[in-house]
Amino acid sequence: MLAAIDWDTLVTVIWASLLAGIGVTAAYGLAILGATRAADLGREGRVAEAGVYALIGVIGLGTVLAAIVFGIVVLSGK
Amino acid sequence: MRGELLTVIIVVATALAFDFTNGFHDTANVVATSISTRAMAPRLAVGYAAMLNFVGAFISLKVAATVASDVVDPGAITLLVVFGGLVGAIAWNLTTWYFGLPSSSSHALIGGIVGAMLVAKGPDAVFFEDGIIGKVMLPALVAPTLAFVVGGASILVLYRIVGRLRPRPVTSGFRGGQVISGGLLALAHGTNDAQKTMGVIALALVAYGSLPASDPTPPTWVVVSAAAAIAVGTYAGGWRIIKTMGSRIHKMDSAQGFAAQGAGAAVILASTHGGFPLSTTHTISGAVIGSGAAKRLSAVRWGVAGNIVVAWIVTLPVAAAIGALTYAVTRLFGTGAAGPLVVSVLIVIGSTLLFSRRAHEAATVAPAEA
Repeated sequence: MLAAIDWDTLVTVIWASLLAGIGVTAAYGLAILGATRAADLGREGRVAEAGVYALIGVIGLGTVLAAIVFGIVVLSGK
Repeated sequence: MRGELLTVIIVVATALAFDFTNGFHDTANVVATSISTRAMAPRLAVGYAAMLNFVGAFISLKVAATVASDVVDPGAITLLVVFGGLVGAIAWNLTTWYFGLPSSSSHALIGGIVGAMLVAKGPDAVFFEDGIIGKVMLPALVAPTLAFVVGGASILVLYRIVGRLRPRPVTSGFRGGQVISGGLLALAHGTNDAQKTMGVIALALVAYGSLPASDPTPPTWVVVSAAAAIAVGTYAGGWRIIKTMGSRIHKMDSAQGFAAQGAGAAVILASTHGGFPLSTTHTISGAVIGSGAAKRLSAVRWGVAGNIVVAWIVTLPVAAAIGALTYAVTRLFGTGAAGPLVVSVLIVIGSTLLFSRRAHEAATVAPAEA
């Protein structure tokens, strides 16, 4: 009975779900961290640190959008 | 031939009616977290989900292929078997909607088809090992567990990242994020759930002889009509289930809502790519419970979660029993359109009674609450 089960696909579903679910959520968390800290530091006049956090925010948001586009492309492929 | 044409029209109409109830019943789960955390107004959230459900239905056909060829033998399928299965699923969907239980439309559909097929052709026509166990029951266990783990781990990671920030921008940031995660979840629902109806209509077309059993890929008109039916059903909304999913399991903050929706979308989309006809209800429930339990175990109302689990367990056998009974009743009228016509009329009468009773109860409760 166990041999009839498509374990490869099931294992792929598990690791892809873990990677996408936790990875995208963490990336969005970094986007919020970056945006919030950049705004706070900018108000305090700490421009260089604010710039670093802004970059973290942009990378976080970019990762989320790239992951979504990648996911849809993979799904709509064969 | 004219009798068969009438039967296939009734079966396709019943399949689209099931798709409507699927949207009505299931997609409410998709928008519940956005509404609960006030990320979106209810009607806007439902409209948004309906639109993305429609779009999602066009992304993939792998689940439709699984339903059409891997659950029961497409070479042995008859129109009355498909009809019996659909009636089993619709009856179970309406019953669980009436009691406000978010059970699985997908398992109801597969249970109904299997029950009807068992009575019609016997166990040899059902693919128990690689189909029912490998592609339905095992994913049914794995998906909610996986969503629970992903939802729980995601919220722990999020709290670690944003835990020391001022709450106001974090809350508004995650509310904005829920527009994305809620949209993804609706898209995921469309890809997986609308395809089940496409698969069932493809089975009916195989039985009618207009699709080959060896390659039952649904034609474009089936894809478009299934997408439209689930989107309209979604827009009609299922407010009782929204209430259960959005606030009765546990109260969520916007970060938890984002984590739950992200986890649910990730698991459903990955499963769709694997061709597994997943229960979106099971998955989003697992993610919602996981995001709550990771914060505080006592935050989850385990009694409500337990009721949902009971509904999950009984869905497959009860839908199978109704599917089998419906097949037996329709066969009393022969193999033509008379049986499905009689049963369809009975369903319409039963549904009308159920809806009017629910409307009467709502009207009675509303003045008392006011």
